[in-house]
Amino acid sequence: MTEAPVLELRGITKRFPGVLANDDIHFDLRRGEVHALLGENGAGKSTLMNILYGLYRPDAGQILLNGSPVEIDSPRAAIDHGIGMVHQHFMLIPVMTVAENIVLAAEPTVGGVFLDTAAARSRVEQLADRFSFAIDPDARVENISVGQQQRVEILKALYRRADILILDEPTAVLTPQESQELFAILQELRKEGMSIIFISHKLNEVLEIADRITVLRRGRRIDTLAASGATETELARLMVGREVLLEVEKAPASPGEVLLEAEGLRVLDDRGLEAVRGLSLAIRAGEILGVAGVDGNGQSELIDALSGLRKTVAGRVRLLGRDVTDASADERLERGLGHIPEDRQRRGLVLDFTIAENVVLHDYDKPPFARAGWTFPRQMTERARALIEEFDVRGGGPETLARSLSGGNQQKVILAREVAREPSVLLAAQPTRGLDVGAIEFIHRRLVRERDAGRAILLVSFELDEILSLADRIVVLYEGRIVGEYGPNVSEHELGIAMTGGRAA
Amino acid sequence: MSTGRTMLAHGRTALEPRRLAIIGIALAALAVWTALPPWMIRWEGVPVALGLLAAAAGLAAVTRGERRLGSWALALAGVATVAAIWAQTKDESSLGAVLNTGLLAATLRFATPLAFAALGGLFSERSGVVNIGLEGMMLMGAFFGIWATIWSGSWVVGVLCAMVFGGLLAAVHAVFSIHLRADQIVSGFAMNFLALGLTGYLFISIYGLQGTPPGVDRIPDVHLGFLHDLPALGGLLGPVFGQLNLLIWVVLALVVIVHVVIFRTAIGLRIRAVGEHPRAADTVGISVSRVRYGAVILSGMLAALGGAYLSVGFVGSFGQNMTAGRGFIALAALIFGKWKPIPTFGACLLFGFASGLAQRLQAEADISANLISTLPYILVLAALVGVVGRSVPPAAVGRPYVKQ
Repeated sequence: MTEAPVLELRGITKRFPGVLANDDIHFDLRRGEVHALLGENGAGKSTLMNILYGLYRPDAGQILLNGSPVEIDSPRAAIDHGIGMVHQHFMLIPVMTVAENIVLAAEPTVGGVFLDTAAARSRVEQLADRFSFAIDPDARVENISVGQQQRVEILKALYRRADILILDEPTAVLTPQESQELFAILQELRKEGMSIIFISHKLNEVLEIADRITVLRRGRRIDTLAASGATETELARLMVGREVLLEVEKAPASPGEVLLEAEGLRVLDDRGLEAVRGLSLAIRAGEILGVAGVDGNGQSELIDALSGLRKTVAGRVRLLGRDVTDASADERLERGLGHIPEDRQRRGLVLDFTIAENVVLHDYDKPPFARAGWTFPRQMTERARALIEEFDVRGGGPETLARSLSGGNQQKVILAREVAREPSVLLAAQPTRGLDVGAIEFIHRRLVRERDAGRAILLVSFELDEILSLADRIVVLYEGRIVGEYGPNVSEHELGIAMTGGRAA
Repeated sequence: MSTGRTMLAHGRTALEPRRLAIIGIALAALAVWTALPPWMIRWEGVPVALGLLAAAAGLAAVTRGERRLGSWALALAGVATVAAIWAQTKDESSLGAVLNTGLLAATLRFATPLAFAALGGLFSERSGVVNIGLEGMMLMGAFFGIWATIWSGSWVVGVLCAMVFGGLLAAVHAVFSIHLRADQIVSGFAMNFLALGLTGYLFISIYGLQGTPPGVDRIPDVHLGFLHDLPALGGLLGPVFGQLNLLIWVVLALVVIVHVVIFRTAIGLRIRAVGEHPRAADTVGISVSRVRYGAVILSGMLAALGGAYLSVGFVGSFGQNMTAGRGFIALAALIFGKWKPIPTFGACLLFGFASGLAQRLQAEADISANLISTLPYILVLAALVGVVGRSVPPAAVGRPYVKQ
């Protein structure tokens, strides 16, 4: 490699009030390579890339493109320098068409004024053909799948003739299949000479796609290493800064009596279509029942029906032997149900409430937090302080707004609230979605501890790894029905077949 | 949830609920028409029967899931039956005095100031800034338009000056809502009070109690005499379009221009992008604040044109608060028209028609004039209720954009 790197970052430093987000970071990108930027949430990956894309200005340091220093003070400048970015939250306008989104701000025109829709469409088609993307330029972005939206984002960069592509946590929103399709696209782009920066905190996919890996931790560059020969354990240690147990240690389950039982459950989704179609399951004390399946096979509706947030059209739900089919969510909570919702920001927390207020969300009207209609904020604060300590919530005290916590710490607050009520049954929907290794480890260990304390836990997850490492018993959900039940030692392959309806080879 | 289920349940029905509702609306219209020339039916049974049929169709549509159009049919059935029975008590000549080609010309006259303001508001809101200050900007245009016309003796100077001051007030709103990220509703309201106070004060201190002098230079009418001589349609086109104010023609052209600008040009695409997803626009290199400043200031200038039309074009004088809520009706038209230029103009025509009708009924009908003058406003309420939930504003409207 005698050729100068396409991109070099030298000594990039960026301070925010109270935080050193990037501390003297060096990074280089070679032509035609995929260079992964690995780190936990808050390690400074996004800050570094936002500096490269002109969204932030660095306090110190230099950016070199093909060996010569450049100033990047706006996204416009980044685009002009051939840098394209696929943001974690897509920068697409839902009500506009694919073509309109792609050409925005660089529109082909007639006479410099009028949009040349035909030219826009044909250019998008050409680009899509070249990289064999299947995409309809006239489809509205709101009507296409998330995976396709991501391709639109990539096409946006290609349309602007980017030769450096930054992907910020691109697989966070994708199904496993879509991730594989994305990786195929990235390989194709790499062959065309595109240089790719791949931001992630998922160890396995970084090892799969990257040529080199740079690990960031707390704003510092820890190491840059070749992907071939690196192991997940090694990367996890670099990323977290200590030995991490990727495998959850747990003793075999000793299931007791059935605590939660569903029988012949039928539930409609928001469009009025049947999403859960005659499902029966039973969870016993002291076991974790894993529900595996691809997103959209009735998981959300199942959880809603069990927790009382959605009416069932048929079937019964029994909690601790009592029929709660027609009981409200509140009554079920009173009778020993705990619920970690899948959308922690919308359903799990009131983001503009403090941690203390969030922690007493269920019991604010009961002693010791309230008596005769009067609330006692100090009691709430005390409870919050104890839970913050016990659940290792970092980034604030009882009076901190939930909004200002990181995702992992938000989830710890929810877990703390639910577990502290000592429920008999705990519904955990996607409990670690989007969290970093450290937080995942904490939550996994805590779930196992709660199992050992005799609770019945229902774990819904799209991550097979998570199901396989936590569950004592696994059911696969496909199109609203349970299509298979397995022991904890089932192979990933076997589950994968069941998850696609059993039709795969 | 419910619509999906009803769709499943009634997928096989021969008569679609939507079609049922439209039939209901048509029957209601027919009920009114039977009482008018040339039919002049003078027996209550006809409109009552038609009204009942219309209501039945509307009800059927509602129960089959077409809530919106179905409720319209129901409501119109009632209104139409009452209107028809009332019209039956009138003879042909007094009906003719209300319903003639003059009503169509009046519709255009009343719709014009609304349309200027609504098209202005369209730019502002499409770019993501709520402009509830349209009323104040119209008022600025009305006052400074006539002030500059009197001062210079030329309506051209007046109109230009109106646009400058409307744009200035909009610029203040822009600074508050874009740069200072103030609440856009509050800022817009402040603009209305500012304009009301400022024009009221200047009006009294400059012109005193006797008001603006008579004989002010007016925006001219465009005479199209040849329209009267056209063979078949001359009788209709002549009285309606033969003598319209210049600005009415301008607004007609403007509707088309705004449509083209918003939907067919690069600038329009960028304005819409900024109003839908400013961060996305920012990341491809569009300056969100520049686009929003431009759009808001333009909205003030257009609203002021509407105001100038009122004072310099229509009346030839100024009175305190002479816009009398037209800015708000323009906003309603914008919502009714789903932030699209042509439907928005259609909504303005509807409100213009209601105003024109109210004006004429006041002269002819034996109902209280005050009651009748509420007609356009009742229509605003009905229109807004009817489309609520269907009219989706630009996603980022009302939200200040904070650059990272």
